[in-house]
Amino acid sequence: MKSPIPIFDCHGHLGIHPDFPAYKYRPEEMIEVMDLLNIEVLAITSTLACYNDCPRGNTEVAEVLKRYPQRFRGYITVNPNPPGEALAELERWAGFHAPPLIKLHPELHKYPLDGPHYRPVWDYANQTRAIVLVHTWDSDLNCGPLQLGPMAREFTQARILLGHAGVTWRGYQQAMQVAETAPNTFLDISGSQSHRTVIELAVSRLGAERILFGSDMPYLEASVSLGRVLTSRISDQDKELILRENFRALLDEK
Amino acid sequence: MFDANARVGHSGVHGELALEAPDFISELDRFGIQQALVSHFAAEEYDAEEGNQALARDIPEFPGRLTPAWSALPDSNSIRLLAAHRPAAVRLFFGVHKHNFSFEPWCAGELFEYLQANLILTLVARDDVEWNSLASVLENFPRLPVLLLEPGYRADRYLFPLLERYSNLYFDSSTYVAHRQLEAFVERWGADRLVFGSRLPLYSPGAALAVLATARIPEPARLAIAGGTLRKLLSRTIQ
Repeated sequence: MKSPIPIFDCHGHLGIHPDFPAYKYRPEEMIEVMDLLNIEVLAITSTLACYNDCPRGNTEVAEVLKRYPQRFRGYITVNPNPPGEALAELERWAGFHAPPLIKLHPELHKYPLDGPHYRPVWDYANQTRAIVLVHTWDSDLNCGPLQLGPMAREFTQARILLGHAGVTWRGYQQAMQVAETAPNTFLDISGSQSHRTVIELAVSRLGAERILFGSDMPYLEASVSLGRVLTSRISDQDKELILRENFRALLDEK
Repeated sequence: MFDANARVGHSGVHGELALEAPDFISELDRFGIQQALVSHFAAEEYDAEEGNQALARDIPEFPGRLTPAWSALPDSNSIRLLAAHRPAAVRLFFGVHKHNFSFEPWCAGELFEYLQANLILTLVARDDVEWNSLASVLENFPRLPVLLLEPGYRADRYLFPLLERYSNLYFDSSTYVAHRQLEAFVERWGADRLVFGSRLPLYSPGAALAVLATARIPEPARLAIAGGTLRKLLSRTIQ
C-alpha cells in the first residue's frame, strides 16, 4: 500500500522521545519510509524542542533542512517559558520557510495556549500569516481544542492547524466545533486513535479543504493516517485535497 | 485476515460507533477481513451472561465469520456456564467501572485454573489491568494463553520484559502504532507473539491493516500476524 499521489505531510518530528523506544528515526531512515508510502514532503518539528530545549532543537531542524531541502519543511518550535525567548527563536529561524511554520506544544510545555506568554507568538503569527501547528488533546486544560476558538477569531491571519484534531472521538467533535466558527483553522488527522467514520464526518461538516494529512512520523506510524484516508468513504478528489493539495496551498507552494 | 480485537452490539458508551452484527459483518467485508474474534458490548457494559446470550444469538447468523470471546466472572456459577459454552476464548473485563474484580490469583484464581486447564485464550485490555497484576497471572498460570489487547504504542519497556519472561503472553496490533514499531518488533522477536487486531467498531480497520501491509517484514511473518497465530491459539483449546 502506498499513496497514489505524492503526499504533503503537515506533522512530523525530528528526534527521539523519552517515554518509549524510537525506531528508525534518523532522517535517512525516515526518507526511506516516506518513499515507501509516497510522502514527498514532511514538515518537521524538533522533539527535543517539544520536550526540553527549543534553541538546540531548532538548530537540529536547521541542519536537516540544509541537507534535505526537497523533502523536509521546518517548524520553529517555541516555548512560552521563559517569556521573551519564543520571539527570539522565531526571529532567529525566520529563514526556515515563508510563510513561517510555528509549532506550539502547550501540553509538554505545561502552559495554556491562550495564556499571556503566548501572545507575542500569536501576534507574530498574525503579522506573518504563519502556519501554526498546535498540539491539541480532548478537553486538556492547556491545549483543549475549544481554547483555540477565541485565538483563531482574534488572530485571523494566522492559519492554525489543530494538531491531532483533539485525538479522541470527543476531541474531534471539539475540533470540528472550533473549525465551524473559524475559517482559519484546519484539522490535522495525525494521532494514535483512529476512530471509524471521523474523517467522513469532518469532511461532511467542514469540507475536505479543511482537513490535512499528518503522520506524526517518527513518533507515530505514518501508514495509520494513510490507511484511514484511503479507506474512508469520501471522493477521490477529497482524498487528493487531504493528502496533498491543502497543505501545499497553505505553504504557498502550489 | 482474522481480527483478534472486536466487539459487536449496542453500546451505551460508544453510541454512534457501535455496530449490530449485520453491519459489523458488512464492515469486515469492506476491509476484506474474513473472521473476527468478538465479544459483546452488553457483556462489557452490563452483564457477562446477558452479553454471552446476545453473542449466542448473533453468531449462528454468520457461519464461519464470528468466533465468540465469552465473558466470565470469578465465581463458580460463571465457570459452570463457561463450561457449557465450551469457549475457545474469553474476554475478561476487570475494570472498576466494568465487572470490578481483581486480575490477581487471590481473586480470580479459580477462573484462571479453569481457563488454564482448558487452554482457553484469555483476552484482557491493558486499560483494565496493571502490569504487575498481569505479570502475576502469567507467573502463576504459565500454560494459560493470555492475549493483551491494546497495550498502546508506549508500552515496549513493560511489554518486552514480560514477553522475555513469559512465553504465554501475546498482544494485538490495534494500538501498536509507533513509527515502524511493528516492523522493529518482528525484526527482534519474530511474528509469533503479535496478532492482528482492528478495535472495531471503534477504530477503522484501515489503520491497523495499513500498518501490517506496509511493514517491511517477511511474508510468512505477515501471514502469521494476519491470522495464522490466532488460529493456532484457538485450535489448542481443549474441547
